Amino acid sequence: MKELVKKLTEAFGPSGREEEVRKIILEELEGHVDGYREDGLGNLVVWKGSGERKVLLDAHVDEIGVVVTSVDDRGFLMVEPVGGVSAYMLLGKRLRFQNGKVGIVGLEGETTDEMRENLKNLSFDKIFVDVGANGREEAEKNFPIGTFAVYDARFEEMSGKFVSKAMDDRIGCAVVVEVFKRLKPRNVQLFGVFSSQEEIGLVGASVAAYDILPDEVIAIDVTDASDTPKGYKRHAMKLGEGPALKVKDRASISSRRILERLVEVAERNKVKYQMEVLTFGGTNALSYQKTRHGIPAATISIPTRYIHSPSEMVHPDDVEGAIELLLKYLEAS
Amino acid sequence: MYLRELSEMDGVSGNEEKVRSFIEEKIREKVDEISVDVLGNLIALKKGRKGGKTLVVAAHMDEVGLIVSRIHEDGSLSFQPVGGIDPRILPGKVVKVKDLHGVIGYKAIHLQKEGERKGTQDFSSLRIYLGFSSDKEAREKVSVGDYVSFVSEYRENNGRAVGKAFDDRGGCSVLLDILERGVSPAYDTYFVFTVQEETGLRGSAVVVEQIRPTCALVVETTTSGDNPEMDRERWATHLGDGPAITFYHRGYVVHPRIFQLIVDTAKSHGIPHQMKRRSAGGTDAGRFATTAYGVPSGVVSIPARYIHTPNSILDLRDYEHTRRLVQVLIEEGKIVEVIE
Repeated sequence: MKELVKKLTEAFGPSGREEEVRKIILEELEGHVDGYREDGLGNLVVWKGSGERKVLLDAHVDEIGVVVTSVDDRGFLMVEPVGGVSAYMLLGKRLRFQNGKVGIVGLEGETTDEMRENLKNLSFDKIFVDVGANGREEAEKNFPIGTFAVYDARFEEMSGKFVSKAMDDRIGCAVVVEVFKRLKPRNVQLFGVFSSQEEIGLVGASVAAYDILPDEVIAIDVTDASDTPKGYKRHAMKLGEGPALKVKDRASISSRRILERLVEVAERNKVKYQMEVLTFGGTNALSYQKTRHGIPAATISIPTRYIHSPSEMVHPDDVEGAIELLLKYLEAS
Repeated sequence: MYLRELSEMDGVSGNEEKVRSFIEEKIREKVDEISVDVLGNLIALKKGRKGGKTLVVAAHMDEVGLIVSRIHEDGSLSFQPVGGIDPRILPGKVVKVKDLHGVIGYKAIHLQKEGERKGTQDFSSLRIYLGFSSDKEAREKVSVGDYVSFVSEYRENNGRAVGKAFDDRGGCSVLLDILERGVSPAYDTYFVFTVQEETGLRGSAVVVEQIRPTCALVVETTTSGDNPEMDRERWATHLGDGPAITFYHRGYVVHPRIFQLIVDTAKSHGIPHQMKRRSAGGTDAGRFATTAYGVPSGVVSIPARYIHTPNSILDLRDYEHTRRLVQVLIEEGKIVEVIE
């Protein structure tokens, strides 16, 4: 699984430019699905098995990023955020563009005072990207307006924990891929939706289940782990304590029925788990709850440190736990 | 071109009847089917040369404005915004409630305390005066819930036009022009004039289920933001540089093949064009993409300065180039073919 997580998280895939990730997932799933399709929004839908019960697992393929909106005479790029990217988080970092080239993020400021003021109220209007170009023409050729970029970051294993960019939500993709690989479906038709454009407003998942009409949906996404120095004190989630069963966040309240069954399956099979109440954020579960007549949906989260940074950290035991719990849940019908 | 007629018409979100009747009358004989749906969207079909796929081309009929929220004892009116309006642009402006003209008032400069002018007005400190001297008088003519629209005469000068509501009567006028000149769509094409875009992409939310299109093209009028006080690198678009093509805006990244097709089409026909260079603000494309099975959509816009005020300015060459680009996209039909 480590190799899969490395491959998925290092792939390039900001919202709306997720082709590379979809390709990796399809290659991984070859021989493990009965069929697949890609819809007009870039959702990759796979399926396996047959039966009365239709269950859909969702993980989003996109990651946060930036997009080039302007190029100046000297070849510096102006960018805007794609999803919840903080200008503070970008400062001094390297970015990787779709063409593989790299840029660095710099700060405007003509005086020390202005520099200090810009740092205090940092926004995308105060930062720029330096790609080393010698003038506008060279920059526009390689980085035309509309070119997307993501953090330039590698996968690392640190004391048994996994660190990389885009754990949000490639770790969810890894979970769904593994479930498809390992599941021997009985009496259940399983759908996997690798959904697009989640980070800019749950876009792909809003339409992915329209033609499927599953009986239930489980979204797999990351959640805040607050087990760091002065971590968010109202959050209970910790790395290594098992997958988190989401009760609610800012966007959705998990289906009580699904949640209770997940708890029951976890208890019966001695799968370590933790409960989650998140004070901010949301997952694709909301989109499915609002599709057609409403589809019962819940979220299983992987506790993650430093979400939306180039170094998101997860514990592989939590990931394995999520896969195990889902397999037992799907076999329990 | 009906930019003058359309822009001078009142049509604040939820109150688009006049605009809808005008458009309906102009295009009725030019299309194969026409209907108005429950929310008030005007939907007109122009049959294509080929079958199997369907295109929606959409522009919104509504404009931002105000609505009366209270009638005061002195006969003045309090109001709330309908759509995105900066209250600082309101004092001194002429407005219309039904057929009555009025002004939005604020304390005269003599009466303002030092420093007061530096502050920003909010909606609660502004009133509309229609000339009434009591609430009794006012109630005979107006009521809470009456729409208020800006009053601006359309003018042209040196190839540019000024007026209200170019967002998005510009798009409506472009679609009207295309139907009037005669158009031969490659595929069945629905010309959709939507309602309540400015209050949250509401009308467009029911379009997809009725038509089930393959893809959609939204024709908008967008912010230019090319004010001289702003750095050129931070402009959204620039007047005179041609239609703006969107790759990403709030809530939707445009399908890469649709975006590229629009750019390639403009290039191959020698139509000047530019990229929309800020991502703020959404369009009906975001709603089409997230409704039902999800309709991949593109956006082409006429750049305009000072949108969401009583006086926006657009370049008539940009208008004409937008018209040409949209017409070519409809007639060639490749925008539909890039979607499987």
